[in-house]
Amino acid sequence: MKKEELFARIEKAIIEGRKSEAEDLAREAVKAKLDLTEVIEKGYVPGIQKVGDLWEKGDYFLPELITSAECMKAAMAVLQPELDKAKIQTRSRGKLVIGTVEGDIHDIGKNLVASMLSANGFDVVDLGADVKLEKFIEKAEETKADFICLSALLTTTMLGQKKAIELLKQKNLCGKFKVLVGGAPANQKWADEIGADGYAENAMLAVKMVKRLMGA
Amino acid sequence: MSMTILELIRKRRVLLDGGFGTELIQRGFPQGACPETWNVERPEVVKEIHKNYFAAGSDAVLTNSFGGSVIKLASHGQDKKCYELNKAAATIANEVKPRGGFVGGSIGPTGKFLKPQGEYTEPEFEEAYAEQARGLADGKADFLLIETQYDLREALCALRAARKVTAVPVFVTMTYNRVPRGFFTLMGNSAAQCLEELEKEGVPAVGANCTLDSSDMADLVKVMREKTGLPLIAQANAGKPSLSSGGEVSYSQGLENYLQHIPKIIENGANVVGGCCGTNPDYIRRMAVIVKKEG
Repeated sequence: MKKEELFARIEKAIIEGRKSEAEDLAREAVKAKLDLTEVIEKGYVPGIQKVGDLWEKGDYFLPELITSAECMKAAMAVLQPELDKAKIQTRSRGKLVIGTVEGDIHDIGKNLVASMLSANGFDVVDLGADVKLEKFIEKAEETKADFICLSALLTTTMLGQKKAIELLKQKNLCGKFKVLVGGAPANQKWADEIGADGYAENAMLAVKMVKRLMGA
Repeated sequence: MSMTILELIRKRRVLLDGGFGTELIQRGFPQGACPETWNVERPEVVKEIHKNYFAAGSDAVLTNSFGGSVIKLASHGQDKKCYELNKAAATIANEVKPRGGFVGGSIGPTGKFLKPQGEYTEPEFEEAYAEQARGLADGKADFLLIETQYDLREALCALRAARKVTAVPVFVTMTYNRVPRGFFTLMGNSAAQCLEELEKEGVPAVGANCTLDSSDMADLVKVMREKTGLPLIAQANAGKPSLSSGGEVSYSQGLENYLQHIPKIIENGANVVGGCCGTNPDYIRRMAVIVKKEG
């Protein structure tokens, strides 16, 4: 199979959410001794981006998004050990610590953002829901993260986003991490008011924003 | 013999209540706590809110049990109290129910997903909902409203569970997003698909709540009316919430703009109307006037 043909098949497998095919094609790429970073960049990544576009347009919904993200994960599980073996540094797009702020147990949106970021090649540390604000900062320092992503669904718990930024200021850590906020009641105005570095309305826009902020 | 809720719906337009969470918060409910616990710990506060809605003109109020399934309560460590909290929810609402009024047992989503997206099986969901429905039924709810459902499969689990434990009418409202192709749930169920399945299951009243503002809700009601002859329920949000850095919550539509679209919601075919997030007794008082006028 020609390289381009393989890339096209990979892209299609991701878009259509066929996990075993996404894995098989990854094995095929390994066997054919292809440049695996190129396989990722030209096959898998365009696939998941297309999935995101379809979701934004309202043609795909949460199940399709999750299925395709799972396919990416499965394929990366095949490719990553090979990359490690060959000591190939995949271009790390950046590391994020993500979670829903304390007092808020809603995690559907946060999980979606986390899985789309991870599918797009970011290193995601998911702290779950109802996360103490100090914990975000501790974990970001420990993992040397680039971003702290704070999710909140409620207008009451949203204040946690503001408090987290204040906490960073108190600790003199403001420039060290970029802070992103999201959740149904959040918007750009809120993000500006509390001094967050970014806000995204949905998971796909979050991926685009993080890429932009990383200069990728 | 007094009229049942279904008889009332057949006879005239019915008005439900509005938002509950913000009413609780205004009365000191702490951030992040489990709202259902106040059915037992602060019943006088919950009763006051119900009373205000009845006074504003609600024909029926919904119990403080939106997050009362075993699974949702478990995220607050309150799962063992599921039956007790739900029974109390219906009992205290009944204590302030005026003559001719109704108490609807609110059943919101678990917040989790069924396999393969999530970890749960359908029997697990059914069990979690059955315990809640049992509590609400024993507290003498006049009907149950399975609401804000984003997954048709989950809504059907809740429906089966409720029917196993009670004979009161069970209504279902889904929550839809507006996309270019129409109205779809988070899981991608179209309004048409939901109505078809729910009608097939014999649900006596169906509809939509939350997510959409009253303008989009009016359009959705039109779409739903083309698909079903069943009584339709519509409870719109007052737009999108936003928070000032000072902590003030406001909703993008506001009272006057919200009310402007209510006649359209009725004209397009809603038989049961009410508010959702961002609405309060003031909204319901004004809606009562419109409902009466529109007949």
